[in-house]
Amino acid sequence: MLGLVVAHFVLRPRLGDPRFAPDFVLIALLFLAIRTRPGVGAGAGFLVGLLTDAVAPTAFGAAALATTVVGYLAGWLKAVFFADNLLVNALFVFVAAWVRDAIAVLAGNQLAGGALAWQLLAWSPLAGLATSAAALVVLLFFRGWLRAGPA
Amino acid sequence: MAFRAERYGTRADTVVFVACLLLSLTALALPEGLRAPIAGGLRGTVLYPFLTLEHRAVESAESHERLTDLRAERDSLALASTFLPDLTAENERLRQLLGLGSRLGYGFLTAEVLHQAGISDGLTLVLSAGSAEGVQPLAPVVTADGLVGMVRTVDAHTSVALAWTHPDFRASAMVEGRRIYGIVAARRGEAAGELMELHGVPYRDLLGGGVRVVTSGLGGVFPRGIPLGTVQGMLSESAGWERTYVLRPAVHPAEASHVMILAPLRAGDTLTAVFRAPLARDSVTAPALPARPPSRP
Repeated sequence: MLGLVVAHFVLRPRLGDPRFAPDFVLIALLFLAIRTRPGVGAGAGFLVGLLTDAVAPTAFGAAALATTVVGYLAGWLKAVFFADNLLVNALFVFVAAWVRDAIAVLAGNQLAGGALAWQLLAWSPLAGLATSAAALVVLLFFRGWLRAGPA
Repeated sequence: MAFRAERYGTRADTVVFVACLLLSLTALALPEGLRAPIAGGLRGTVLYPFLTLEHRAVESAESHERLTDLRAERDSLALASTFLPDLTAENERLRQLLGLGSRLGYGFLTAEVLHQAGISDGLTLVLSAGSAEGVQPLAPVVTADGLVGMVRTVDAHTSVALAWTHPDFRASAMVEGRRIYGIVAARRGEAAGELMELHGVPYRDLLGGGVRVVTSGLGGVFPRGIPLGTVQGMLSESAGWERTYVLRPAVHPAEASHVMILAPLRAGDTLTAVFRAPLARDSVTAPALPARPPSRP
């Protein structure tokens, strides 16, 4: 987990356009939520989101709200739907990244009209693809993380 | 893939989730005056090491890009510098040619050697001047160092010169400053194309190494005084009759890139002083060479 957080700050700047660069912190949050209880996922999501908001404070609280929801849902969905398939998990990460972006953008109320459409239909899916691809690579090496912890 | 139908979340999880939601909404509702200090406090404490890491990563990435650019520039310079010796040599040859042109004064035109990729290159040379520029067959072809050959065939805008390395080439020669005559031809055998032979030197005239051999002017083709080469040593002697010497050529045709073609009217001149004069570097800045089409007397 710590490695993913460090990668977010060290590796991400080297991976090209930040709009499409993979979000390693989100990957770490999702893996944490999968392994623990939904409440832990929600709390971790809130903290991660708050720190994200601190870096981009124009919509302070929007990222906290988004990652709280995503963290809780990831922990809750683990109980309903848990897949050992790498591609399904990549899809899971993609959807989580897009939902996080959608909530953050809508809650932040910073975009409207065409810009909002571009963000939700183009940039966010592309960023979600990059994040899911990074998650896939991480899981190839650390597949044990997928296995849910004790309830 | 496995499915679990049981309910996983507990009331505590829900309470935490709702609490976090409320806190997030509270953060969203905070006035600007409160948001900034909180965000600044987080950046200055918890996020500080991570932001420092990111800052260094960005700097490192930029340094890598700059390094890549620098390497590209260095490689470009290295590539350019590989041509520097050739350019310097060509510049030197052109300077010498300019100096020769100023000393010749008239009765010549300049041409480039259009080197061909083939075994005949060095035996015959294609020159970038032809009859339209005033080139005539049998015209001597020279550089600032000496004789290259003679024009054999002439087209409209090109001509073919027979270099001294060609087996058919002959030139009447003499030892510079002395009345010792002979015939110069290309040396055959292993050193073909590298050395000359001076035939027919009277037996009574013994030549030492380093003696300069020039055209004699006999025969009406080459003016007197064009350097052919320097004596390296004696090759053979016909008992009591004649000696043959090996010459190191003044010019190697394969290395010639720019030449001068002398007009036939210069055949009767003596050019010893022209070729003996050292290159005056200051004088080469003067526009001594005629532009093509060349100035004809």
